[in-house]
Amino acid sequence: MILRRRAGRSATLAAALASTLVLAACGSTADTPADTAAGAGGVKTDKGVTDTTITLGIMGDTSGVFKNLGAAINAGNQLWADDVNAAGGICDRTIQLEVVDHGYKADTAKTLYPQLEPKILGIVQLLGSPVLAALKQNLIDDNVTAAPASWSSEILNNPNIMMIGTTYDLEVINGLAYLQQEGLLADGATIGHIYIDGEYGGNGLKGSKYYADKHGMTVKEAKITSTDTDLTNIVTGLRGDGVTAIVLTTTPGQTASALAANQALGLNVPVLGNNPTFDPALLQSPAAGALGNLYVAASSPPFSSQTPKAAAVAKAYKEAYPGAPLNAGTNVGYVEGLVWQNVLTKACENGDMTRAGIQTALTSLTAVDTEDLVGELDYSSPGAPPTRGVYIAKVDPAAEGGVTEVATVFTAPEAESYKAPFQEG
Amino acid sequence: MSEVVSEKVGSPPAAPPAEPRATASRPRRNRIKIAATAVLVLFLVLLPILVGSEVAYLKVAQYILIGAVGGIGLTLLVGQAGQLSLAHPFFLLVGAVSYAVLAGDPEESDDLVGLGLPPLLALVGAIVICGLIGLAFAPVAGRLRGIYLGVASLSLVFLGLWLGQSLEAFTGGTSSGRTPPTFELFGFPFSNAEPSPTLFGVAIEKQQRLWYLFLVLAAISYLLARGAVNSRIGRSWRAVRDNEAAATAMGVNVTRVKAGAFVISSAFAGLAGVMTALWLDLVKPDENEFTGSYSLTVSIAFLAIVIIGGLGSVPGAVVGAAVVFGLQQFFLLGANEFGWFADAEFGGLNAVVLSAFVYGAAVVLVVLFEPGGAAAVGRRLVARLSPSDIPSAPRGGRSTPGSEPERNDDDPTA
Repeated sequence: MILRRRAGRSATLAAALASTLVLAACGSTADTPADTAAGAGGVKTDKGVTDTTITLGIMGDTSGVFKNLGAAINAGNQLWADDVNAAGGICDRTIQLEVVDHGYKADTAKTLYPQLEPKILGIVQLLGSPVLAALKQNLIDDNVTAAPASWSSEILNNPNIMMIGTTYDLEVINGLAYLQQEGLLADGATIGHIYIDGEYGGNGLKGSKYYADKHGMTVKEAKITSTDTDLTNIVTGLRGDGVTAIVLTTTPGQTASALAANQALGLNVPVLGNNPTFDPALLQSPAAGALGNLYVAASSPPFSSQTPKAAAVAKAYKEAYPGAPLNAGTNVGYVEGLVWQNVLTKACENGDMTRAGIQTALTSLTAVDTEDLVGELDYSSPGAPPTRGVYIAKVDPAAEGGVTEVATVFTAPEAESYKAPFQEG
Repeated sequence: MSEVVSEKVGSPPAAPPAEPRATASRPRRNRIKIAATAVLVLFLVLLPILVGSEVAYLKVAQYILIGAVGGIGLTLLVGQAGQLSLAHPFFLLVGAVSYAVLAGDPEESDDLVGLGLPPLLALVGAIVICGLIGLAFAPVAGRLRGIYLGVASLSLVFLGLWLGQSLEAFTGGTSSGRTPPTFELFGFPFSNAEPSPTLFGVAIEKQQRLWYLFLVLAAISYLLARGAVNSRIGRSWRAVRDNEAAATAMGVNVTRVKAGAFVISSAFAGLAGVMTALWLDLVKPDENEFTGSYSLTVSIAFLAIVIIGGLGSVPGAVVGAAVVFGLQQFFLLGANEFGWFADAEFGGLNAVVLSAFVYGAAVVLVVLFEPGGAAAVGRRLVARLSPSDIPSAPRGGRSTPGSEPERNDDDPTA
C-alpha cells in the first residue's frame, strides 16, 4: 500500500514538473494579422487563391444515404469547373476543386472541415442539413461562403450561406398553386401533408400551411421519421380525412410507399413532392405503376428538360460519365458552379478575392443569370430566398431521368407574398 | 495507463507470495512506470503543438476523449456491475440539452429556454441531472438482468428521440437545433478570443483550448473511475455481478448497488454529452433513431468500445475509444491527405466505406482472438515484462476461479 501510494505521488510530481516546463514555454502575443497579399493583376487574396489557381471545396456525399444524388452533384460541379477552365478560367486563374466525402454524417464532416478549410476560398457544394447545422459556426468563424445542397429557408440566418435556387417552403407553395391552376385542387379543400420531422420536412410544411391559409384549406399533418418505410396506414388515415391532394416532403422510398397506397386504396388523388422526393430509381421499383399521380416541384430543371443549358449539361454529363445514374443532381451541381462564377467574376472586378471580398461581391449581386438553370437570383437581401420560381415536372417513365417538365420557372402570386422565416421587411 | 503497473503491488492477494523476490525489481519498475506516465502526460499536453496547424487531427483527438469518458461510464456498468445498457446515447442527449438549457442565454431567443447559469455550473448541473434520470430508471434496472435489461434500456433511446423532437423549447427542434453557449472558466472563454496565448509558437485558439478542457475532464473521469473500481464500491459491484445471493450474504445492499452503478454510469454519459455539444458546436436532436449523434448507432459504438477495451477495464475503455471513435476518422483524414480513392465516384470503394470495414474488422478480430479485449492484451504484456513478480498469474492471461482470489478486471496484472 505504501509503495503504491508513493508511486502515485511521484507520478503526480513528475506530471507537475512537466506542466511547469510547459508553462515556462508559454508566451502571450496578439494574433498575427491575416496575411492578405496583392497577387497577380493587383487582386487582394487570402486563403485558397494563388496567382494561377482558385481552389473551391466540395463537401459531398458519395457513400451515404444520398450517394446517387451526391455523386451527380459532384459531377455537375466538375463539369462546370472543366467548362470554366477550358474558357480560360476566372481572373486569369484556373478553378481547382478539393473534394471530400462525409457520408452524410455530421461528426465526420466536423473533423474533415478543419483539414479542408485552410486550402479553400469557399465551398461550392455543402450537402446535407445535419452537416450544415454542425458546420454553421465554423462557416461564420472562418468567413467561408458556402453553397448548400440543402434548400431550407431556416438556414438563411447564416450570412455565409449562398442559397442557390428557391427553398422547400416555396417549392410547396408553387406546387400547390400549380395544382390549383390545373384544376386539381379547389379553395376550401382538405389536403394531407406527410413530412419527415426535421429541417427538410418542417420547412416544406411551412409552405403548405401558408398556402392553405390563403385559400381556406385544411392541412392534415402526418409526421414521420426519415427511416419509416411503410406509409400505408398514414395514407389510409388521410383517406378517412377526405383529402383531395397529398403533399410529400419525404425520402424517395417513402414517396413510393405513399403513391402505392394512394393507388391501392383507390384514393388516386394528385400528389405533390418537392425536389428530393423523387429518384428515377423508383421507376424500377414495384411501385412504378403507381407513380403517375406525382408532380415534382423543384428549383432546378429535371434531367430531361428542354431548357437549352440543361440539355447541354445533360449531354456533357452522359459523355463524361457513361453509365452513371441520371438525376437532377447534375443540374444542381452545375448551377452551383455558375453562381460561384458570377461571384468570383464580380470579386475579381472589385480587386478583392479574399473571403471578405467574396461576401461583399455576393451581396452586391441583384440579378444573377444562370441561363434558366434556376430563376434569376437576387442576393441583396440576406434572409430572403434569392429566387421564388420553380420547375414543375411530372413522372414519365419514357423520359430520361424519369420526369418530364410541365411548367418552366413558375412563380405563383402566393410565392411572391410569402415571408420566409428570416426575411426582413 | 502506466500507473496501473504499480497497483498490483498494492493488491493484497497477489502480493504475499511474490514478496521475497519482488523487492529488488520493484523500485526499478516504479521508475519505468513514472517515466512512462510522464511521457504520456507530456505527449497529451503537447499534442496541440505536435499537430500544429493540422487542427483536424486535434479534432479527432478530442472526439476520442468524448468516447473515452462515455466508454469509461459504460464499462463500469457493463463490466463491473454486470448490467447491460444500450441507453448511453439517451444520457448523452440529456447531458447536451441540459448544458444548453442551464447555460443558455435567456435573451437569445423567445422560443428557447435558457437559464443563463455560469457554464461550469451548467456542466455540473447537466451531470447531476443525468445522474438523477439514471436513478429514476433504477427501479427497472434493479429488476432486470442481462439482455432483458439491454432491451428495456433501449426504450430510453426511443424516448430520447421523441422527447428531442417534441420539447423544442429545450432542444431547439430537429430543424436547426440550438447553439450551446461557449464554455467559460473564471472569465476565460474556450473560443477564438484575442489576444490568444501561444505555446512554442502555436496559438492556443478555440480547438486547442477545448483539447485541454477535454483532457482535464477525461483525466478526472479516469481517476474517479479507477478510484471507484479499486475501492469498496467496485468490490460491491463485482460482488453483485458475480453472485447476488453471495453479495447479500456479505452485507451488500443489492438494489442500492445496482441503482448506484446506473446513476454513476449515466453521469459519465452526461459529461460525454456536454463534451459532444461543445465539440459539435451544436445541440440538435436526431431526425431518426438509426443515424445521428444520439442514435442506436452510438449505442452500438459505445458497446464496441467496452468490448474492444475489455469488459470492466477503465484503461481498456480509453483504448477502445481510440479504436472506435478515432480509427475511422484518422483513416478519412489520411485518405484525403494522401489522395487515396480520389477517383472513386459512383458507388465504388472509397475511404468512408473502407473505414467502416476497418472498424468492423477490429471488432470481429477482438472478439475472435482476444475476448478479453485490450485489457487482456495489457495483462499479458505486463506479465511477460515482469515474470518474477506474479508467479500465480496464469499464462495466457485467462484466470481460473481457484487460482485467483479476486480479479477486478481493471487491473492488468490481476
